[in-house]
Amino acid sequence: MTQLFPMQAIAIESRRRGQRLVGPIDLTLGGQGATVVIGPNGAGKTTLLQLLHGTARLSAGQINWACTTEEARHHQGFVFQRPVMLRRTVLENLIYPLRLRGVPKDKARKAAREWAARVGLEPLLGRAAPVLSGGEQQKLALARALICKPKLLFLDEPCAALDGRATREIEMILQTAKADGTRLILSTHDLGQARRLADDVLFLVGGRIHEAGRADTFFNQPETEEAQAFLRGDIVE
Amino acid sequence: MKHWFIGAISALALGSAAQAADVMKMAVTTSFNNSGLADVLLPEIAADLDIDVQLLVVGTGQAIKLGEAGDVDAILVHSRSAEEAFVEGGFGSHRTEIMYNDFVFIGPKEDPAGIATSDAAAGALTAIAETEANFVSRGDDSGTHKKELSLWTEAGLDPATFGDWYNAVGAGMGAALNTASGMPAYVMSDRASWLNFGNKGELALLYAGDPVLFNQYAYLPVNPKLHDHVKNDLALRLEEWLVSDRAKSLINDYKINGETLFVFNAKPAE
Repeated sequence: MTQLFPMQAIAIESRRRGQRLVGPIDLTLGGQGATVVIGPNGAGKTTLLQLLHGTARLSAGQINWACTTEEARHHQGFVFQRPVMLRRTVLENLIYPLRLRGVPKDKARKAAREWAARVGLEPLLGRAAPVLSGGEQQKLALARALICKPKLLFLDEPCAALDGRATREIEMILQTAKADGTRLILSTHDLGQARRLADDVLFLVGGRIHEAGRADTFFNQPETEEAQAFLRGDIVE
Repeated sequence: MKHWFIGAISALALGSAAQAADVMKMAVTTSFNNSGLADVLLPEIAADLDIDVQLLVVGTGQAIKLGEAGDVDAILVHSRSAEEAFVEGGFGSHRTEIMYNDFVFIGPKEDPAGIATSDAAAGALTAIAETEANFVSRGDDSGTHKKELSLWTEAGLDPATFGDWYNAVGAGMGAALNTASGMPAYVMSDRASWLNFGNKGELALLYAGDPVLFNQYAYLPVNPKLHDHVKNDLALRLEEWLVSDRAKSLINDYKINGETLFVFNAKPAE
């Protein structure tokens, strides 16, 4: 069975046109739980997730997985703040990633129906995905990622545009995924959500990690002045 | 620098999601995405046009299927025959060449088939076949795989008749390079994937430069007459940008390790 973790990021950086957006960062990630990346706007949360996932190119440094990079990519998913819906039905959106991976049609259809039921989209299976509400689209995006049974799932502000009820439903799906063994790394600007979901926290300011560790320690006894100010609700630059 | 430890020690990316007023979807090939050029172009497109281009990263065959189904507003791929069939079938309104990069032959540093001194791509492949040196093929119906098959045909050879030395792995470029690195074996790769490949091991770039190895990328808007929901206005605005001097300088200036990857060859919009 493929082992992704520990993952080691060594001196990783992202630069664009000479300006450093993220890094240098040295980080080792273990294979369990949910890590929440928090920090002020522009801290580099999204870029860091994309660097780790491989959708953004490293300007410097390297990322080593316990397996090959290709294998690691195969076992990962990424859910964006605004999910991309194929212009097909809910059922066809769920079938699509499985078919890409060579799963036979009947098996893919069965799995799609099961996942639709799990996330509460079963009544909408025949509905065109682009006309779903924001919360329904995000649940579909999550199911479409989880249906491939990723060992690691990145989520970039998955509930940023959702109301309370949709946020609660998404968080329940994430808690279940975590309990089923999927490693979660998500960014959020919602401190309440970070407290509810995080086992560990990465606190980013100006593209650098200012503090990292167990969530309860971070929220109750933040070490740095920036973290203390951020948790108070002050503006941190 | 402090090293941080997080977590107890014990794939389909769909799109991007920057905030912009208009959103369009474009299917692109994995080789284009792996090159890193999208990271440079997309923010500039968002800044210049206020269009958020969401990428669906797949192989050429899948990109064309997404276009045929109207799942995307345009495709950016590199397989001329498939692109022309896409337009002839009425799925794409037209085809515009944007840029090219090239394919290169990678192999063991000691070069057992001696391809480094070949005078043409066909000669290099013939040498590999004659010495029956290990060769890894994508074998996945991608644009790169189709190109490789066409090169064997041009060399007068048929992979169906090859022995165990020819290994079709049915996987992406990274996996094929990894397999070649592990064996070691010869493999054909696009230059960008090779430069970005982190597990080169005993492999080296041995042959490049034959014009038949040029890899032309073309942009094809999905035909709005077939799918009236596609955002043809955005697709055409993006096309106008892709053939502009602005895109030209961004594409021609894009380098990895000091090496230019793509050459802009679009004709300006009339």
